[in-house]
Amino acid sequence: MKVGLFVTCLVDLVRPNIGFAALKLLEDAGCTVVVPDSQTCCGQPGYNSGARDIAKVLARKVLAEFRDCDYVVAPSGSCSGQMKVHAVEDLFKGEPEEAEFRSLAAKWFELSDFLVNVLKISAVPNAPAAIGALTYHDSCSGLRELGIKSQPRMLLSAAGATIHEMTDCEKCCGFGGTFSIKLGDISTRMAENKCVNIAASGARVLVGGDLGCLLNIEGRLRRNGDMQTKVYHFAEVMAGMTEA
Amino acid sequence: MQVKSMHFKATSSAKLNDAVLQTALKRAKGKFVDGRAAAVAEIDAWEDIRTHAAALRDRVIANLDAYLIEFEQNAVARGAVVHWAETAEQANAIIVKIAQDNAVKIATKSKSMVSEEIALNDAMEAVGIEVVETDLGEYILQLAHEPPSHIVAPAVHKSKEEVADLFVAAHGRPRLTDIPAMTREAREVLRSKFLGADMGISGANFVIAETGTTLTVTNEGNADLVTTVPRIHCVVTGIEKVIPTLEDFATLIRLLPRSATGQSAANYLTLTTGVKAPDELDGPEQMHVVLIDAGRTKLVGSDMKEMLRCIRCGACMNHCPVYQNVGGHAYGWVYPGPMGSVLTPTYVGIENAGDLPNAATFCGECEVVCPVKIPLPDLMRKWRERQFDQALRPFGERFSISVWNAFATRPALYAASTRIAARVASWWGGKERRITWLPGLDGWTDGRDMPAPAGKTFRELYSARQKLAARHKP
Amino acid sequence: MSARENILARIRAQSGRTGATATAAELAAVRRHIAQQMRGPLPSIASDPPLARFIGECERLKSTVDEVAHINDVPQALARYLKQNSLEVPVVGWPSLSVLDWSGAGIDYQNRLANADDLVGVTDCFCAIGETGTLLLLSSPVTPKLHALLPETHVCIVSRSRIVATMEDAFALLRNERGQLPRSTFLVSGPSRTADIEQTIVIGAHGPYRVHVILTP
Repeated sequence: MKVGLFVTCLVDLVRPNIGFAALKLLEDAGCTVVVPDSQTCCGQPGYNSGARDIAKVLARKVLAEFRDCDYVVAPSGSCSGQMKVHAVEDLFKGEPEEAEFRSLAAKWFELSDFLVNVLKISAVPNAPAAIGALTYHDSCSGLRELGIKSQPRMLLSAAGATIHEMTDCEKCCGFGGTFSIKLGDISTRMAENKCVNIAASGARVLVGGDLGCLLNIEGRLRRNGDMQTKVYHFAEVMAGMTEA
Repeated sequence: MQVKSMHFKATSSAKLNDAVLQTALKRAKGKFVDGRAAAVAEIDAWEDIRTHAAALRDRVIANLDAYLIEFEQNAVARGAVVHWAETAEQANAIIVKIAQDNAVKIATKSKSMVSEEIALNDAMEAVGIEVVETDLGEYILQLAHEPPSHIVAPAVHKSKEEVADLFVAAHGRPRLTDIPAMTREAREVLRSKFLGADMGISGANFVIAETGTTLTVTNEGNADLVTTVPRIHCVVTGIEKVIPTLEDFATLIRLLPRSATGQSAANYLTLTTGVKAPDELDGPEQMHVVLIDAGRTKLVGSDMKEMLRCIRCGACMNHCPVYQNVGGHAYGWVYPGPMGSVLTPTYVGIENAGDLPNAATFCGECEVVCPVKIPLPDLMRKWRERQFDQALRPFGERFSISVWNAFATRPALYAASTRIAARVASWWGGKERRITWLPGLDGWTDGRDMPAPAGKTFRELYSARQKLAARHKP
Repeated sequence: MSARENILARIRAQSGRTGATATAAELAAVRRHIAQQMRGPLPSIASDPPLARFIGECERLKSTVDEVAHINDVPQALARYLKQNSLEVPVVGWPSLSVLDWSGAGIDYQNRLANADDLVGVTDCFCAIGETGTLLLLSSPVTPKLHALLPETHVCIVSRSRIVATMEDAFALLRNERGQLPRSTFLVSGPSRTADIEQTIVIGAHGPYRVHVILTP
């Protein structure tokens, strides 16, 4: 089973550790993973900025790069949503290429969803014991476009984590891609609200499935002077790679 | 209403620091969000009803001319006079004429958002007719000379202390801060207005084609006093409010109060059909219905036609994290939140409301709670597409997207430049691994650090790893 | 071109249809659809026994409910209610109820239009809706709406036999028995209320403060 890893532009540039953690989880689960070298971006920043043609160009590039894989897995709800939902229901809807993008969408999965619902893993082999207390932030695209909710929680719990759910765990953190810069004051307030809820949960570790959200929240924590609360991607925690 | 949407960015930043507003927004969020959730949980067929409601609204919008003609015919048959207005100016002229023809000195009014669009009160007052808002929230705002900040709870941004001050100034009675007592005072003060009005102006939550009926969905009883006591009743409504049958109303009314306030039923559903018969003791002698376009026809048949399904429940803004943090006034016109971000550019021009469709992270909460399944994030994105195509966003934004694309479509260039960027940014972040300022990205760094990148890209690390593994293969 | 013509023409143009206004065929299609009176999906609560549901919803809405075994017991039941609420005042009511023995119960029942000074208004109703605890009142020369709107207390005599399950059932009954809607079809679900000041719910806004239902057979 050939699994293509879509690393995502943010992971590639900012936190490659997440990419390697995803790789480890997939390989430990028995997958043969390929990482197409020419991959860059799924096109969502352009798409959400109204640059439709640009978004289509990048989507076609992704299609070409991953066409031969049996599955495509990404450690991100928003990139996965872009390829599974927006490419099919909007960008190429009614066009000759729709069928091809539908095929790609059918075999594209966000990481935790792939582990639980395709590989049917209920516990990750080699998961580090005693992950401890954590709180989980549900990224909007993953949650509302792809139904990612119980999957990461199930695997984290099976690996011994105690999840202290925060108030409004499903509330947007304020990242929203370019929104975080265009309307930075509002974005910062939304991140601040999330930080308050994290602190109130009692957990000192935040875990999530999208690096954009995590950078946004971590950025606010540190600006607030909180250097203690750890911020990890789900993949890093499950692969035991949080000390990188 | 005067358009202030072009100031969204500055106004919203100021609103973030408005302590009274922030307290009010926090309170409202709890009540509206939790209220809706509990009310929806009681309806096991909720999703099916939403689907049916969206379809019935779509059917009407797709045949809007025929349904409006059917409504008009049935309303006229029952003694109503139906007027059509293309613009705010035409609508106001019609209503002023009705008032002047009938020697109206004072008009009572129940809440109507379309009347805010056309600035009806100003037009009436300009010719010396007193207009009294009777919905408690709108009455408070009339005293404060402020526009509404929410379509269902217009004075949601006001504290009871602020209301107390307004009442003292307007009523001349001792200051009260007990909410039931203040409500009682408003009732007493407005009673004489209700009873002495020559004309009652109401909106219409829906108009029913089958019966020629206009209807209001309210809780206070003010809409009923406004539409029963005066000798003239004037309904102002957008043309998109028409629905086919009484059954369709029964379907929609299962969704509306639960979505809006978490109520299982709104207190008063009042279906008004025609004028009073000669032997009736109460009711208006004249019934006028003013059907207003004011930009709605732009949406008919367009790629944003779903917006016309809107039943004005307010659920989208109640759940929107942006609205929850900045409130309604920042949006600068009649309609705030997600529905306002779609309608405001439509009705006042995208060049006057450019930030509104961008005031979203596309989190999708609005779409989830919309009782008629309007794809609000998609519609806001369509506005962004128009802005991109028409070069209406700041140059820097457009340029960045083009630059990003130029790199992202050229893997070798991308690989090389991201390697450099990762190193530079990592170095920039110093020992503490934090970047506190990035050129051109103040929007982020004003309020947050950027955690420093690791320093090497995944691509280069993976490539190196693969080379090493190849070298060590037996 | 009038505003009406312009608006209709614009709707048609936007919808990709030719012509200035709806054709006879299009109007006929609309009428056929309307005539179907299609109901939407119903929730399970619509199947709850209407009487029990009605009483439960009234309580949730803060309407009070009393029951009598016979319509002639209504005046005594109302007298008890008025005494309990310190409302021993004249009541203004609809003609249809004036035939009951009010004076025997010590109630001054005035059969005239309600005014701003009346404290208690007495009506019956066309029917009631179990699903939402709603009273459906129809206006007419002998059933004016002001009785249910102006006084602070609205007393409504509801026959149990006239409680239907859903609003759809109520509209069907209305079409069946009356043919068309009257000028005002007034659906009342509890005493008036507002939450416009700090989202705090206050019972009693511009309409009645109290709705008291007396159920008869």
